[in-house]
Amino acid sequence: MIPVVSNMTRIGVYVCHCGLNIAGVVDVEKVADYAKSLPGIAVAKHYTYMCSEPGQRMIHDDIKAHKLDRIVIATCSPRMHEETFRKAVAEAGLNPYLVEIVNLREQVSWPHIEEPEKATEKAKALVSMGVARVKLLEPLKRQRVSVEKNVLVVGGGIAGIQASLDLANAGFKVYLVERAPSIGGRMAQLDKTFPTLDCSACILTPKMVDVGRHQNVTLLTDSEVTDVKGFVGNYEVTVLKNPRFVDEAKCVGCELCTKVCPVKVPDKFNENLSQTRAISIFSPNAVPKVAAINPSYCLRLKTKDKTVCGKCVQACEAKAIDLDQKPETIQLKVGGIILAVGSEVFDASNMPEFGYGRFPNVISNIEFERISDASGPTGGKIRNPKSEKPPKSIVFVQCVGSRDKRFHEYCCRVGCMVSLKQAILAREKLGKNVNICVCYNDLRAFGKGYEEFYRRARDMDINFVAGIPSDIRSTADGSLYFDVFESGTNKLLELHADLVVLANGLVPSNDIGKISRLFHALRSADGFLLEAHPKLRPLECSTAGIFLAGACQSPKDIPDTVSQASGAAAKAIDLLSSGEIELEPLKAVVDEDLCSGCRICESLCPFVAIEMKKQERAGTEELRAEVVEAMCQGCGLCSAACPTGAIKIQQYSSKQVLVQVEAALAKATSKGGSQR
Amino acid sequence: MSLTDLMSMAKPNLESREKILAKLRRRELINCFLCIKCTSGCTALKLLELKPHEVEKLVNFGFVDELASSDIVWACATCLKCIQRCPQKASPYHVIMALRNLAVEREARVPEAYMKAVSQILENGLAEPIQKVTTRKMETCDRENLKLPKIKPPKESFQSVFLKALEEK
Amino acid sequence: MKVAVFWGCRALTSQYAYEMSVREVLPKLGAELVDLHEAVCCGDPVKSVNDFAANYLAARVLALANLSGLKDLLVPCNRCHFVVSEAKSLIESDEKIRSKIVGLLGEEGLKYDSNVRMWHVIDFLHDHIGLGAIQKTVVKPLNGLKLAGHVGCQILRYSDLGRVDDAENPRKLDELIDVLGAKSVDYAEKLDCCGAALTYSHVDSALSLAGSKLKALQGLSVDALVVSCPDCGMMFDARQKDAAATVGARLNLPVLYYTQLLGLALGIEHEKLGLHLNQSPVDQLLAKILA
Repeated sequence: MIPVVSNMTRIGVYVCHCGLNIAGVVDVEKVADYAKSLPGIAVAKHYTYMCSEPGQRMIHDDIKAHKLDRIVIATCSPRMHEETFRKAVAEAGLNPYLVEIVNLREQVSWPHIEEPEKATEKAKALVSMGVARVKLLEPLKRQRVSVEKNVLVVGGGIAGIQASLDLANAGFKVYLVERAPSIGGRMAQLDKTFPTLDCSACILTPKMVDVGRHQNVTLLTDSEVTDVKGFVGNYEVTVLKNPRFVDEAKCVGCELCTKVCPVKVPDKFNENLSQTRAISIFSPNAVPKVAAINPSYCLRLKTKDKTVCGKCVQACEAKAIDLDQKPETIQLKVGGIILAVGSEVFDASNMPEFGYGRFPNVISNIEFERISDASGPTGGKIRNPKSEKPPKSIVFVQCVGSRDKRFHEYCCRVGCMVSLKQAILAREKLGKNVNICVCYNDLRAFGKGYEEFYRRARDMDINFVAGIPSDIRSTADGSLYFDVFESGTNKLLELHADLVVLANGLVPSNDIGKISRLFHALRSADGFLLEAHPKLRPLECSTAGIFLAGACQSPKDIPDTVSQASGAAAKAIDLLSSGEIELEPLKAVVDEDLCSGCRICESLCPFVAIEMKKQERAGTEELRAEVVEAMCQGCGLCSAACPTGAIKIQQYSSKQVLVQVEAALAKATSKGGSQR
Repeated sequence: MSLTDLMSMAKPNLESREKILAKLRRRELINCFLCIKCTSGCTALKLLELKPHEVEKLVNFGFVDELASSDIVWACATCLKCIQRCPQKASPYHVIMALRNLAVEREARVPEAYMKAVSQILENGLAEPIQKVTTRKMETCDRENLKLPKIKPPKESFQSVFLKALEEK
Repeated sequence: MKVAVFWGCRALTSQYAYEMSVREVLPKLGAELVDLHEAVCCGDPVKSVNDFAANYLAARVLALANLSGLKDLLVPCNRCHFVVSEAKSLIESDEKIRSKIVGLLGEEGLKYDSNVRMWHVIDFLHDHIGLGAIQKTVVKPLNGLKLAGHVGCQILRYSDLGRVDDAENPRKLDELIDVLGAKSVDYAEKLDCCGAALTYSHVDSALSLAGSKLKALQGLSVDALVVSCPDCGMMFDARQKDAAATVGARLNLPVLYYTQLLGLALGIEHEKLGLHLNQSPVDQLLAKILA
């Protein structure tokens, strides 16, 4: 059945060549001619690049000249340029939702590259379907909602710190949530940074202090986000601030409490290489510089016995210790969220063949970093962990847990540069008479100044062994030995080392699954958070209003992290600075007369976008579904499930979909030629 | 492929490479990126100079014929460390086995013991001949005086069906 | 419980001590062994000649197990266990090969059975019978013995196939030794190969591999090396003298099968366990145990 055509409909059809992307397979001229033969078509053209300036101007001019009231553009995926064409059409005075994009690239020329004739027929069919549908489209308006001009930044590492500073300096209010007692993250644990060998703490702490002091930043440490509701521009976030049992306003950071505490606790900041106390300041240069009590170790908190210990309370001159401190729940309203939750280091005990966890002299790169740092467990002296003497031979082994289909397939990006840096630091600290080797697969020194850094390492007589060992073995005294086939010289070398440093890769953090669910942030196959587009939109999630910064999106070094963080901040500013945003109108809509209040849609909606409202119907109160437009993502679940057809997605009513089916079947059974 | 090994003037043989790939059933089994872990830990490297990474790369290039007629493919101890530790799920073990099969097909150099084993199996089902052994006190023992049950040979149909199986490529 | 058993070739034709000790020990732990209808090769040496024919032989073992009507199949040899495991995996993932093999088996009236549950001696004892049950049956604890375990290669690797123990940190044999009262030691060469496969083509290299491992073990002052595969047993025990000559060392290390060790702890007399057949100097070990 051919739908009734309004005499008033004047449709413009534009078939894009997309260079040769479409035209190389599809006969675009034939498709345009075919389109011309369909009823209701006023204009049918084909052109090389419809998305280009002349292409868009063509549409604009034709709308005016031919009084077009519907546009069909047969081109690449709507995900590419639908927005562009909507804007072009709006500028010409036509409602932007009277545009239909027909995908001749991803759906025709690319998959059917071997069959150009059939591809052309399919293109014609898709165009006729598009034409049938566009006739039934209705003009729609974008809703404007006001937005909160403040941003939640989750994660207080360098990414979160940088983003917070950029936002705060731009006049935005920032809530910086960090789960540790201090901000600083991974960068605070580093000794020096490559390739400049800047002292990490020296370049980081000024930023930490700035962000801690900034009037626009509310720093919430010991805190985690526990719930996120709402939608872009209007998020309602619940933050749980765990008690540190010390009053932040009173503590002066003198550390007298730490000195008197009798309970020894593994020092997490030092990668458990040393011990701290149950009450302590989390890290050197901590912001805030306030002590915190670990409730799993504190004797009084564990036993809940008020007569036990209490030495810190006695010692504290500022009377800052508050053992009755309770967790606090904080509700925030924010317009945007930047996820900067960082990454973990691969646990090499998953690869027993390298002896990590069994042999004390096999350590990880992050452990080496703490050992090398002057504020670390050995005061910056590089020591063989077992004998505690300076090592005579150090070997670095690359790609541990990375580029490995048994663990993580991706390259961790920083492993090579970290080992180069650590090798250079070892040479500087231990002198010429120590043998330093790096066993590598490929040595990746890709960034600015990085290749020069690699040269510097070689100039310092650091040996580069082109080959990775199969396993590492230990003698009774704890020194290590292993064979490696060196592919540069084709020699089987036996290496002895008293210290082996494994270049463990960066992996998604332990709670990435929780983060993903909490913020509706998808994950990529490698486990990290997924960006909206790998090339063009690397700073945001596909969920509107959620941005990404730093290693939580993919492992990266400090320059890239800082760039991404500033970029994410700019994106958030872009989104929120005008105080309001427009929402796409392709949402669900309820016809109250058809709604029976069965609540099936409410139960299915994954975005919690349907509410049941009480309404007066013929004297009785009944429930009717109502769509919260701002939350609705237009997924269509409700529409598919609704037994009465009361709830529909704008532009995706049954009629609007079925008319395409009819057009497709008509095309399939016709013998070509005019359908008039 | 337009490349030549200037030491031997050999050119890759893509047909032979296809033969090996067909035997491997999984392309990734030759997807080596030269981390050299396999060779670093190869049981047969020190004594017999077997370099599994080299076998992988040669096959990937197409230098199959020389390998199939060499002694080196018979040097593998089948310890399986190479597959276990390979980060790219390449499998020098399977590549070597495929090369051995190809060598047999082409009637190239094959250690006698393997063909002996095959004829032994055809003859009585087992790959090894039944032996008498001696105790530390130099007494001779066999299954009978050790009270072990008699060995039950395969039924008559076995030989012809096994021969059929041997004809499959 | 009844368990079908597939011995392979080596145990049946020369490593009699292994067969004897398994036959003695398992019934004492509640497992009745049922021999398959035929003794045939699993296909291990055929893998180097024609992989399809090797998989056919391996599948035939499973078909023989099916013929026995039993659901559990004990495979005491590491190499047989690997060959049959690989064949099973291949047949289940490649429809073409599956139909060819099923066809060939059909010509002998045999049925391929993928539901047969395969065990090696180590996981049968450790997982199926259990350490607790073994401990209860021990009558002569082997206290004071320092022992090194050699699990072998082909029941540990490669992990993707699903093997008997963890490939990089196998503990089952060590736990089986410890449960007898002895102390199992860790050593750097634990995962090194005995070299048996090379006896087909490079005997000297094979012996050199066995000899190097024995030499290292001797340096550890262990009371014995414990093995659980007839090929490893052949290399370390039967050919210890040849291995010693090849590496130019004086080797004097007692080597015995785990099932022989277990049998001693269960109070079984040593000739029933084939301990008179071991070529390595087990007398010194026996003296220690019986003291």
